Formats: sequence, C-alpha cells, structure tokens
Amino acid sequence: MTERGVIRLERLAKSYGRVTALEGVDLAVRPGELLTLVGPSGSGKSTILRLIAGLEQPDGGRVLLDGDDVSRIPPHRRAVAMVFQDYALYPHLTVRDNLLFGLRVRRVRRPEAEQRARAAAERVRIVDLLDRYPDQMSGGQRQRVALARALVREPRVFLLDEPLASLDAPLRLATRTDLLSLHRQLRTTMIHVTHDQAEAMTLGDRVAVLAGGRVRQIGPPQQVYDQPADITVARFLGSPPMNLVAGGGVLGGTTGLTLGIRPEDLTLDDEGPLEATVEVVEALGSETLLRTRSGDGTRLMVRIGPRHEVHVGDRVRLRPDPERLHRFDTFTGRRR
Amino acid sequence: MTTRRGRRPLTAWAFLAPYGAAVALLIALPALLNVGYAFTDHTGLTRDPQFVGLANVDRLLSDSFFLDSLEASLFHVALAVPLRLLAAVGLGLLLAAPRPGGRWLRVAVYLPTVIPDVALAVLFLWVLNPLYGPLNQLLGLFGHSGFTWLADPTTARVAVVLMLVFPIGEGFIVVLAARRLLNGRLYEAAALEGCGPFGQLRQLTLPLLAPVLVLLAVRDTILTLQVNFVPAYVLTDGRPANATLYLPVYIFDQAFEFSGFAYGALITIVLMVVSIMIIAAQLFLVRRWRVLR
Repeated sequence: MTERGVIRLERLAKSYGRVTALEGVDLAVRPGELLTLVGPSGSGKSTILRLIAGLEQPDGGRVLLDGDDVSRIPPHRRAVAMVFQDYALYPHLTVRDNLLFGLRVRRVRRPEAEQRARAAAERVRIVDLLDRYPDQMSGGQRQRVALARALVREPRVFLLDEPLASLDAPLRLATRTDLLSLHRQLRTTMIHVTHDQAEAMTLGDRVAVLAGGRVRQIGPPQQVYDQPADITVARFLGSPPMNLVAGGGVLGGTTGLTLGIRPEDLTLDDEGPLEATVEVVEALGSETLLRTRSGDGTRLMVRIGPRHEVHVGDRVRLRPDPERLHRFDTFTGRRR
Repeated sequence: MTTRRGRRPLTAWAFLAPYGAAVALLIALPALLNVGYAFTDHTGLTRDPQFVGLANVDRLLSDSFFLDSLEASLFHVALAVPLRLLAAVGLGLLLAAPRPGGRWLRVAVYLPTVIPDVALAVLFLWVLNPLYGPLNQLLGLFGHSGFTWLADPTTARVAVVLMLVFPIGEGFIVVLAARRLLNGRLYEAAALEGCGPFGQLRQLTLPLLAPVLVLLAVRDTILTLQVNFVPAYVLTDGRPANATLYLPVYIFDQAFEFSGFAYGALITIVLMVVSIMIIAAQLFLVRRWRVLR
C-alpha cells in the first residue's frame, strides 16, 4: 500500500493586502499523522489550512499532496476534507442531507451514498439525529455532524480548524478524547489547528508552533515543551507560562541571555538560593500557584502541590531545578 | 418583581396605542365602512346612502368593463411580479459581494425608487415615444422597426410593466442584506465538495433566501396590484381598449369620476379578494419549503 496523506509545504507565503500572514512556511506532515498547528491568533495557522484546502491561493511556494503539486488545483479535486470552527452545516438541510450533499454533487450513486453517510453517522454516533435540522441540535451534536460530513468524503487528509473552540469545557474534553480515538481508528492524516495550548499538548503526535507567519518549532509535544526553540515558543506553551528573566537576574546569568524556568521547576526549599516574597496565592485544588517577588523586583510563578500553608506576604526560599533551566539569546530569542 | 412583571405588558400596549389607534381609525374603520357602502347607492356626494342589497353585485357580474379591468390586473401581476422579483434578486445577488465601484452600482439600482411615480411616468412617456423615444431607437439597432407602445393593447400593458421594473429598490435592499447575512463558510464547504457557482446558487443561496423571497413575492403581489395606478393614469388613462384599466384605475373612475362610490367600494373588495387568492396560491406552492416555521 502506498503511503497516502503526505503533505509538504514548501516556502509557502501569503499576504492579505499589507498584512503578511505567512512568510515562507516549510512543513512536512507524515502519512497518518495527527499534527497540531498551534499559535497565537493571527499567527497564520488558519491560513495554512485554507491554503492546503485550496480555499485560497498562495502568493508563493507550493503545496504538495502525496508528491503532487496541488497549488493550482481546485479544492474539490484535492481529496481533503475540512471541519470549520463554526461547523458550517447547511441550515436548510437535515443531517442526512448535509452528509449526502457532497456525494450528490459528486454524483455518487444513491445506494452507495446512503451507505457511506450511514457509516459516517455511525462512526460519530449521530444515527438518531439523521432527520434533524442543524438548529435542532446542541453544539456538540453539530460538531459531530461536521465531523461526519468530513468522514463521508473519505479524504486523504482531514483539516480541522479549531473544531473544539465553540464547545464548553467538559464537552471539549470529551470530544478531544473522541477525536483522538477517531484518528487512531482511521489512521488518516489530520491537521488540527488550535490556539489552546492544552489541546496542542494532548492532541497530536507532533505539534508545530507558529508565530509571526513562521513555523517556530515542530516536534512531539513533550519535546517542544521541554526544549522550546525560542522565547516565543517558551512563552506560548504552558500555563502559567515559563518565567523568563532577561539578563538572568536572580537566576544567575550573563548579559545577552534570557533565562527561563517553568513554574513547576521551582520548588519551595528552606535551603534554596532564591529569596522571595509571596504576592499572590492561587489554590486550584489539585495544585497551588504562587506569584513571588524577589528583592530586585523579579516576579516568578511557582507551581507547588495542593494544601500548602503558604500565605500572601510570607517570605519563602526557592530552588530552581538546574537541569530545567532554559537559556535564550535575548536578541535573537533563540535557544542557546 | 411582581409590579414590574405586571407593568411590562401595559407599557408595551401604551407604546403601541398611537399606532393601534391610527390603524383602527384610518384603516380598519374605513375598510369596514367600505364593506357597508358596497351594498348601498352611495354616490360620494350625497349624505344619506340607501341600502340596495345585491344590486351592485348584479351590476358587477354583467359589467364588461369590470372583466376587462380584472383581466388587465391579472395580466399585470403575472408579468410584473416575476420580472420585478427577478430583477431585485438578480441585482441584489450580483451586487452583494464587495467589488470596486459596487457602491455606485447599488446606488444606481436604488435610484429609480426615489423618483416620484409621476416623474418616472412622464420620463417613460418620452422613453416610449414611437418617433424619438430611446426604446424604439434601441430596438432599431437590432433591426426592429419598434412598437407604437401605448397605442396597442398588449404593448401598452408591457410598457407599464417595463416602467415598474425599475423602482425595485426595497426588494433589492432586502435581498442584498439577506445575502450578506449568509455564512461565507457554507460556500467554502460547498466549494470543497466541488459545488460550482450555479450549484451554490441553486443549492445554497436560493433555498437559504427562500423565506425572504416568499415574503418579497407576497409583498410585491399586493404592491403591484395597486401601484400600477400612477403609470396607467399618466401614460394611458386606462386605454387603449381598456387594456390598462387596472382595478385601481377602474375603482378611481367609478368612485370619483362617475360618482359611483358604492360600486367602487364593491370593486375594492374584489381587489382585496384577488390579492388574498393570489397570495394563498403562492403560499400553497411553496408549502414544502421551510419558510413558515
């Protein structure tokens, strides 16, 4: 079986008027991979999806699908399916007709079309909703219909544009798990766009961090988290974000370097080298976040276990884990 | 809380009251009186109309001018409503997307709507002039000798429709606004499926606009049955051979020219019944669309 669903982006560039969305993106997506594109809003992640789908034309560079340059091929001949953030279900059609829409356009024969629609509906458990209209369903149900509509196409690549963003928190967690198991069953290439860093960590074999129209880093989520390639990536992944101290300051550094340490890599230790005052205590139940302030004014976030007897105003001593200290060039932002 | 809940409907009624009073006094009451007058010998000039039973109805049934008038009105609606809708929907959809100069094109489409009917009719007297009017000259470019527009029954009717195809601003604006409210993602989803521009028009735009289109058709039917009064009065005065003696024109003639106020009242009722029947037929035709949810 030949590998299907290989996507390569080569020096992909796109501007909207004077705004540059992408400036030369290179990206290789492996067959069957679930790749998460993550980045702050305006980083160009949705633009990448739209260029792969063919909804927009690149200003420069190429989109290769299984080795073929598809940059000038219309969307419907690219064998990609897209799930939109607002689902884009046809409001005047029932779920069944929503699923059949594309098959009818493609003149798939009725019995086969019905059977494919039913199979897709079964896979995402919406068979009992087939006769409903989109406005008669909850957000989660609509999301699954959107997914089923993509499944019906039997595409080589799924493009998911913030598919969970419109769901409320508990549903988002459940759907995240569903999406993962769906990918495990299908083993079809999926590119998933999100601005939620928690989704980026949990969903995806690899994560690509975008910022300012460029891919800053790509790799397995834990690796990107542990070894961020630059300050932007370090700041974006993790909540609360990494403590970054320009010049090193209390973390002990040299000029020209910015030192970073994640909140969980700082521990309370009476023998610790850093002295600080607790400014804010956030007890989250499973953990406690402390915002501390050192003598020179440096603020460090510290993540500690639950049920600590620490109060605002307490003086504490902190010990950074030297293994987990990140060094970045202050001027280029790159990891050193 | 109870006082607030108790007072809210009262407040609403208070705000509605001036409108309600005006509707009752200026529309409902005259309409009721109109029904009463239809069965009298009221001339519009005397003070004490006498009840005459179904005498006016008898007269109506044997009135060949009335049949001409009814036929003229039905011909007009059958031609004017589809053409006006087609123009409003077509132009609305064409000009909904932002494009260079689109603003001026939209203004151009709306402009005839702000021109007073009488002025537009006088303008059309020139447009339709068989000797030097631009319409015949335009036809001349295609080798056609042109028509004596207002002198021939059929072309006179067509001419009135032609004039009324221009003031379509309201329908145009409604279509424009409704089209702009449609979610652009739907079109992208359809494009991904391979649905081209005509497929998108047929499978997305028109079904999604269906409620608006039905509303416009109903409104235009009512409107078109009435607004042909001015062009008919200015262009043809009901002629030739009663071809443009539309119901409003005949009602006016009877009520105010021939002192047959009661007879005019009866024809007004007929006009209303005709309107209701056409609208009912339209709603029956589109009953399977999800427009009346």
